Amino acid sequence: MPMKRRLFLGTTAAVTAMAAPPPPATPADRALLRVPYWSEAADAAATPVVQAMLNGANVTVARLLGPADDLVLLLVLDLAGDLSRVDPARDAINARLKQLPANTMVGLLRAQDGLRVLEDPTANRESVAGRIQELSVSGRAGLLDTMETALGVGDAMLTKARVRVAVLYVSDSVVTNYREDFANPVVNSSDSRDMSRRFPEALIKERMQQIVTRVGRTQTPLFIVQLNYENDRLNEAYQTGLIEAATSTGGNAEFCRTLAEIPDAVGRAFDHVLAHSSAELEFKPAGKVWQYDVQLRAKGAALRHRTRFLPKGKEGR
Amino acid sequence: MVRLALVAFAAAGVMRTASPQQTTAPQTPAASELSKAVEEFRVQARERGLRADSPVQAKFANTKGTRWHGRLFENFRNNFLDAVPHEVVQRGGVQGLLRRNQYGFNLSGPVVIPRLYNGGSATFFSVTFEGVREKVGRSVLTTISTLPERTGDWSATVDSAGQPMPIYDQATTAVNPAFNPSASVSAANLQYSRLPFPGNRMPASRLDAKALEAVALLPAPNSGAGPFFRNNFFIFAPEVNTAGGLIARVDHTMRERHRLGVGLNYSNGADGAAPYYPNAANSGGVSRDRRTRRGTVEHVFTISPRSVNTLTADISTDQFVNLPELDAQGRAFPQYRFAPYLSMGRSYPLSRNARNTLQVTNGFATRFKEHRLRFIGRFTAEQVNSFWPQYPSGSYRFSAGLTSLPGIVNTGHGFASFLLGLAESAQRSVVISPSYFRRQSYYYAIRDQWELRKGLTVNLGLNLDTTTPRTEKYNRQSTVALDEINPVNGRPGALVTAKAGGRGRSFQPFNAKLEPSVSLAWNILGSNRSVARAGYSRSYSPVPVYLGQWGTQAFNGNPTWVSSNIQLQPALRLADGFPAGRAFPDTRPEAANNTVADLIDPSGHQPTYQSFSLSVERELAGSMIVTMGWGQSAGRNLLLSNSGSNPNAIPLAALEFRDQLNDENFNRSLRPFPHYQKFDVYSSWPEGKYQRDAGYLRLEKRTSGGLSMSAYYEFSKQMDNYSGPYGVQDYYNRANEWSLTVGNNPHRFSLTLMYELPFGANKSLLTVTDWRRYLVEGWSISGVSTVASGDPIYLRPQFNNTGGVVDALNVNVVPGVDPHISNPGPNLWYNPAAFAQPPNFTTGDAARTHPSLRGPGSQNHDLSVTKRFPLTSEQSLELSAVGLNFVNLANWNEPDNLIGPASAPNVNAGRIIGSRGGRVIQLGLRYSF
Repeated sequence: MPMKRRLFLGTTAAVTAMAAPPPPATPADRALLRVPYWSEAADAAATPVVQAMLNGANVTVARLLGPADDLVLLLVLDLAGDLSRVDPARDAINARLKQLPANTMVGLLRAQDGLRVLEDPTANRESVAGRIQELSVSGRAGLLDTMETALGVGDAMLTKARVRVAVLYVSDSVVTNYREDFANPVVNSSDSRDMSRRFPEALIKERMQQIVTRVGRTQTPLFIVQLNYENDRLNEAYQTGLIEAATSTGGNAEFCRTLAEIPDAVGRAFDHVLAHSSAELEFKPAGKVWQYDVQLRAKGAALRHRTRFLPKGKEGR
Repeated sequence: MVRLALVAFAAAGVMRTASPQQTTAPQTPAASELSKAVEEFRVQARERGLRADSPVQAKFANTKGTRWHGRLFENFRNNFLDAVPHEVVQRGGVQGLLRRNQYGFNLSGPVVIPRLYNGGSATFFSVTFEGVREKVGRSVLTTISTLPERTGDWSATVDSAGQPMPIYDQATTAVNPAFNPSASVSAANLQYSRLPFPGNRMPASRLDAKALEAVALLPAPNSGAGPFFRNNFFIFAPEVNTAGGLIARVDHTMRERHRLGVGLNYSNGADGAAPYYPNAANSGGVSRDRRTRRGTVEHVFTISPRSVNTLTADISTDQFVNLPELDAQGRAFPQYRFAPYLSMGRSYPLSRNARNTLQVTNGFATRFKEHRLRFIGRFTAEQVNSFWPQYPSGSYRFSAGLTSLPGIVNTGHGFASFLLGLAESAQRSVVISPSYFRRQSYYYAIRDQWELRKGLTVNLGLNLDTTTPRTEKYNRQSTVALDEINPVNGRPGALVTAKAGGRGRSFQPFNAKLEPSVSLAWNILGSNRSVARAGYSRSYSPVPVYLGQWGTQAFNGNPTWVSSNIQLQPALRLADGFPAGRAFPDTRPEAANNTVADLIDPSGHQPTYQSFSLSVERELAGSMIVTMGWGQSAGRNLLLSNSGSNPNAIPLAALEFRDQLNDENFNRSLRPFPHYQKFDVYSSWPEGKYQRDAGYLRLEKRTSGGLSMSAYYEFSKQMDNYSGPYGVQDYYNRANEWSLTVGNNPHRFSLTLMYELPFGANKSLLTVTDWRRYLVEGWSISGVSTVASGDPIYLRPQFNNTGGVVDALNVNVVPGVDPHISNPGPNLWYNPAAFAQPPNFTTGDAARTHPSLRGPGSQNHDLSVTKRFPLTSEQSLELSAVGLNFVNLANWNEPDNLIGPASAPNVNAGRIIGSRGGRVIQLGLRYSF
C-alpha cells in the first residue's frame, strides 16, 4: 500500500475514533445560507461580530468561521493546452501548497473530459504535489462542464461539517478547446451573406449566463486562475463570463497575461481562499423567493462579501 | 483561537450573544470537522461518479459535459426589415426582394450505442447542421433591340439626341477620290464613301442566318422608361441561393494519455445567378455549384507530464462547377456583344475547379530546464485541377464601325453590324484538357520559450520553409523564356514547355527559406501590472497556385481574330464560323507570338515580410488594461498583377516619338519583346514593396457585472509602389511610384462592447420578483463601432494621350495652388484647380496617390440585442436582432477624381455625388438545451 494511502487511512481512523458529537441540527423549518466574506479589519485573522440582513430583514447569524478555522480547498486542474503555461502553474501551486496552514486540507481533481478525483482532501502536501506533477496535460477543457458539480460537492461538505470550503480552478481553457461547439465555425463557406457570425460570442455568452444562474444557487465560493488572457471576441465573452460566475459566488477570477504572472496569480488566489470567512445565516424561508439579497456588517471592520444567492429547488427557479 | 459569536437581531435591534454550546470550537477537536468534510467529499465524489470506484450509472451522470446538449436555430431576413440603401434611394429605386432563412441544429454529448457502447466521458461527439435558403431579387434596367430593329428596320431608331441614326451598307464602301488627307475627316471630307440602306431598312436577304437564330431568343422590350427607346428592358429576376452542410466531430480519450479526434466537414452550395433572358442566350451571371469536404484526424499523446506529441492529418477539397445551359448538341451559347445593347451569352459557362489539400503535421512539446521547447514538422501537398475555357463557343464583338459612315460619329450601330454578321473581333477558347497543378511544401520549426529570469520571458523561433515550384501532372505547362531567342525575329523571348529542351517539370526554382523570430515579455521592474513586449520576425510566402489555366498556353489556346480596320473590314463573318485555327498542343517557340503571352517569373523571388513591434501594457485600477504600442512591417517581392507590373512596357523615354506611337507596328517595335502584345503575369510578378508604421492605444475593461469593452485607436501610415485601381505610371522606376497606399486610413478607431444588462434576479438592478422579471431579465447587447478617416485621393487625368506608352497616367500639379479647401463638403471636397491634365505625350508629375488629400471618412455601427428566456436550468429560448449599420448612416462616396484639360474641364471634379449604406436587420430564434 502506498505511503500516502496508509497515512490517509490512519488519519481518518484516528479522527473517527474521536467520535465528535454532531453539530446542533437545524430545525426543519429553517434554512441556512453560508455567506463568504472578507474582513478588512486591522486584525484580519480575527472574526468580527457580524450582523446580517436577508432581503432587507434581520436574520440570525448562526455561525461564523474565520481565516483561522478549518478549510477544505478543492483544487481543480483544467489543463489541456500549452505545456509552456502549465509548467509554471504546477510549480506555483506546489510552492503555495507547502505554505498552507496545518488546518487546511486539499482535495485534488481534474476537469478535462469530466471531473475526476485525483486525491481526496488531505493534509499531506507532498502527496498532492506529487499528483500535480504527474498530471497529464491532455483532453478537452472541462471548466464549464464541471464547475457546478465541484461547487455542489463543496456545498455538501459545508452542510455536513463546520469547515470553510472553497473551490479553486486553475485552467488554461479557451473557447475553442471545449468539446461542445461554442465557436460556431462557418459551416457553409459558399454562404456569402451570412450575418449570424457577425457577433460570434452569442453562444458562449448564452452558456455563461446559464452557468452564472446555476452557480448562483450554490454556496461554496469559486476561485479561478485562468492561465491565458485572450482578447478576441469569443474569449473575451468567455473570460468575462468566468469573472461573473466566480464573483457571483463571492470568489474571484485571476488572469495571466504573461508566464511571469502565473506564480503571482496563483499566489493571490490562494491568499483569497485562505483569507475568506464564512457567515452562516439561519432563517425561515418565507414562501416563494426569487433571490436572497444579503447584507453583512461588522463593527470596526469593512466587510466584502457575497451579496446575492438564488434559491434552490421549488423555492425559486 | 477563533473568536466565535452567534449574533441575532431582535426586532428592536438588540444584539444577543450566543451561548457557548452554539459555537463551533473548541468543544470538539477541529480534526473531527475536517474528517466529516472528507467523508462527505468521498460520499459525494462516489455518488457523482467522480471516482474510479463510482457506480457505472454515477459515472455516466458525471458532470454536465456527459449530457447531451444542443440547439435549434433559425435566422430570418426579409426586405421589409431593411432600410432602402441610400444609393438606391438616390437613384430613385425601391426596396429589392429578399427572403432568407438560415436554420439548423447542433447536438453534442457522449457517444452511446444502446447495448453496445457507452462512451461516458471518454467518447464524445458534436454535430452541427446548417441550411440556407435565400431568394434575392435582382433588378436591372437596360436596353435591348426594338422589334423592328430585329428585322432590320432602323427607320425609327434615333441617337441620344433624338436624331435619326443612319445605318450604312458596308458592301458599298468605296475610297473617296476627293478626300483631302491634310484636313480632318468629316462629312464634307470623307475618306471612304458608303451608302445608307434605303429607308434605313436592311433587306431581309442580307441578314445573317446565325444572327437571326440568336435574335429569336431575345425577349420583347417590356419598359418604356426611355428616352428614345432606351431603358426599354426591365429585368426583375430572383437569384436563388442554397447551402447545406454539417460539421461532425468525435473525440475519444484513451487512458488519459491518448486522445483521438476525428472531424468531418461537408458543405454543398448552389449560387444561383439572376437570369437576364429565360433561355440559353442568358447574359447574366453563371450559376455555380460549390462543394467543400474536409476530414481531420488528430492524435494527442501525452508521453509524460512534460512531453506531449500531437499528430494531425487534414485532407480537404474545395470545388466549384459553373452550371452550363447547353443546347441540344451539348454546346454553350456563344457570346455576342453589341454595345450599347445588352449582350447575349456568357463567359466561363463550362468551367470547373477543385483545390485539394493534404496536410500532415506533427508537433512535439517538452520542457528542458527553463526552456519550453516545441518542434513542428509539416508536409503539405496541394492540387489544383482546373478546366477554365472562357469562350468555348466563341465570343464575337460587333461595333458600329462596320455599319457607320467611316469617320463619322452617331452613324451605324453594333446591333446592325450583328444582324449583318460583321464581327469586329472574335476569339475562341480551345482547351484540350484540364490542368492538374501540383505543389508540395515541407515546414520545420523549433520554438523555445525561455524564462530567462523571473519576469522576463524570451521566445525564440526558427522555421525552415521549403516549397517545390508548381508542376503539372502531365507536364502541360509553358511560359515565355526571356533568355531564349525567338526564331521569328531573333529577339529574346520564346515559348518553352516543361520537361522539354532540357528544362525541368517547372519553371521556378525550389525554395528553402529560414524564418527567424524573437520576442520577449518583461514585467517591468518586477511589477505584474506592467508588461513590455517586443518582437521581430521575418517570413516568406510562396507563390500561390491559382485556379485557372494560366501558364499552359502551348497546350490550351485562345485564338483571336481582329479586324485590320474596324470601320472597313470585319474580322470574320458570323455565318462563316471560325476559320481553322492552329492545332494544339503547339509547342513551337514562336507559337505565342502576337498574343498576350503567359509569363511565369523564373527568379524564385518570394514575397518577404519583416516586422518589428514594441508595446507596453499596464493594468490600471478597476480591471482596466491600457496598451500602447508601435509596430513597423515591411514587405518586398510582393506579387503584382498585370496592372501593377508589365515586363513588356515601353520605357517612358519613348514618349518623345509622340504621334508616331499611334502606329501599332512602330509602337510594338519599342517594346522589349516586340513579338508579344503584352505579358500576362497573373498576380505573380514579384516587384511590389510596402512599409507600414503604426502606433496604437488600446483600452480593455472587463467587469464582474458582465460588461466587457475594448476601445482601439490606431494612427498609421502605409506606403507602397503598386496599389490602386489603375496601375502605375512608370514600370521601370518604382521609386517614383512610392506613395501612400490606396486604402490607408491614418486614423482608425473601433469600439467593441458586450454587456449582460444588470437587470433581474442575481443582478444589481430591477430585481423584481413578479411577472415583470420575464421582461427585464436576460437582456444582452453587443456592439461594434468603427470610425475611420478617409482614403488617400488618387487623381486621374480625363484623357490619356500617350500613344499607349502609359497605362495609368498621373495628373500634373499646378504650382502655387493649394489643393485643400477650408470647408470641404459634398459640393467641393478638394480644389481641382490645383491639378491639371498633362499635355499630350508627357507624364504627370503628381504622385500616384496624393500625400495629404483624403476622401471623406467613414463610420459603421453594428449592434446585436438578445433576450434570453430561461425555460429550465438547462433549457432556454433566445431571441436576437442583429443590425448592421443599425443607425442607417450614409457614408459619402469618394469625390470625383477626374481632372480634365483647361479646354474641357470636368465640371464634377472635386464633387461628391451620392452616398452609400443602409441598415440591414436579421432576426434570430434559438432554443438551447
